[in-house]
Amino acid sequence: MTTVIERPLSLSTPPAALQALLKSDALSLCFQCRKCTAGCPVAAEADVKPHEIVRLVQLGATDELLASRFIWECTSCGTCEARCPQAVALPAAIDALRRLSRERKVAADPAVPAFNDIFLATVRQLGRTHELALMAAFKLRTRRFSQDFARFPTMLRKGKFALLPRLHGDRAKRQRIFRRAREQRKAP
Amino acid sequence: MSYVFYPGCSLESTAKDYALSTNAVAAALGIDLPELAGWTCCGSTAAHQTDALLALALPAANLAAASGKTVAVACAACYSRLKLANHEIAGDPDSRRRVADALGADYDGSTPVKHVLEILRDDVGMAAIADKVKRPLAGLRVAAYYGCLLVRPPSIMRFDDAENPAVIDKLMTAAGAEAIDWSAKTDCCGASFSITKTEIVLRLSRAVLTAAREAGADCIVTACPLCQFNLDMRQSDIEKKNNEHFGLPAFYFTQLLGLALGLQSQRLGLQSLLVDPLPLLTRKGILQPEKAVAR
Repeated sequence: MTTVIERPLSLSTPPAALQALLKSDALSLCFQCRKCTAGCPVAAEADVKPHEIVRLVQLGATDELLASRFIWECTSCGTCEARCPQAVALPAAIDALRRLSRERKVAADPAVPAFNDIFLATVRQLGRTHELALMAAFKLRTRRFSQDFARFPTMLRKGKFALLPRLHGDRAKRQRIFRRAREQRKAP
Repeated sequence: MSYVFYPGCSLESTAKDYALSTNAVAAALGIDLPELAGWTCCGSTAAHQTDALLALALPAANLAAASGKTVAVACAACYSRLKLANHEIAGDPDSRRRVADALGADYDGSTPVKHVLEILRDDVGMAAIADKVKRPLAGLRVAAYYGCLLVRPPSIMRFDDAENPAVIDKLMTAAGAEAIDWSAKTDCCGASFSITKTEIVLRLSRAVLTAAREAGADCIVTACPLCQFNLDMRQSDIEKKNNEHFGLPAFYFTQLLGLALGLQSQRLGLQSLLVDPLPLLTRKGILQPEKAVAR
């Protein structure tokens, strides 16, 4: 098990979000023991493995990382960080990579970003998620009509869905939070 | 101790039975759990994967509204987001400033957050709970499943031992059940990928179900709407895909505790479970056949 990336790496100065993690020692203390990869529930099929992510961030191989499948297959279970002898903040690094890959429009996976966008749009509008509306919008966006379709009657009968969405909380305050988030994402 | 309850979105839909049974158990134990008025979504996985400020400001809006009371949480995912937001806001002045700018008011990250399990363990006490058991879950072998979000990252969550947590085991023992020793207590079920990357959930949840069965469990007990959904609703998909049978009911801990406290099964939402628990509960003599829930 040496490196799985055989292409020449394109190296650059890491983006600010990753620089902050590198400076805080949250990533720089890794000594490549690979305990993170050993305990990761989805590493077996990963294109870039957890310990490789840390090394590639340190090297500045950001393009490789932003286009990787793995950052969208990570379940955010946190086992890597919990077992790391150096307390390397891999979950924080992977979140930063996900956000950057969205901003640069190079995300390798369409489904998870689409789901996240619909989820947040629902929260912005209603204040809470509404699972039935969320599922319907996600299926429309990704054209996955058949998946789980047969299950809907059972879920309705079992009371698993609230049927009608309602508005919750302070709408003006919520709009302000989302507006500020957008402004801060755009500011360097 | 004075609490406000933050149910979270799942407890209004797929985990309605968790809300129902949490409130029923709280009432039976004399815990006052008024709902936080006008609460909004914590942002969940979608926020922290998409935007660093939303991941802090959405939970903070709720924490700031608790006006100093302890926020009681049942959903493991909300619990995680609320505690992580508190940690970052309290520890990083720049994050605190950015959240204040988004909320239009300063929030210092100091609102206490407790999971219902912590309230039962630390504020009520296992002995006091054992005293109130009217219908011991004798002979029921339960696999206490904690998943990821209650215990990790351990330095921030400080919930229990991160590799071998025991609070649900102790609670089930107090309720008269037998908490079995097993290896998958804190393994991941696939969490929020249930809809987007179902194949990952089918693989990871299958490993959890297999470990529980091999350890001789009659059922699994959870404290997280995502875990319960994957282990219960995805169980038939896993069985079909791999041509195998589990038949393992996946309860919320509040449902089994409620039964032990003598509450009616309708008040605990047992009829909402996809893997029907009634054959198991009647076989063990915990519910009488005539009291079975009409469906």
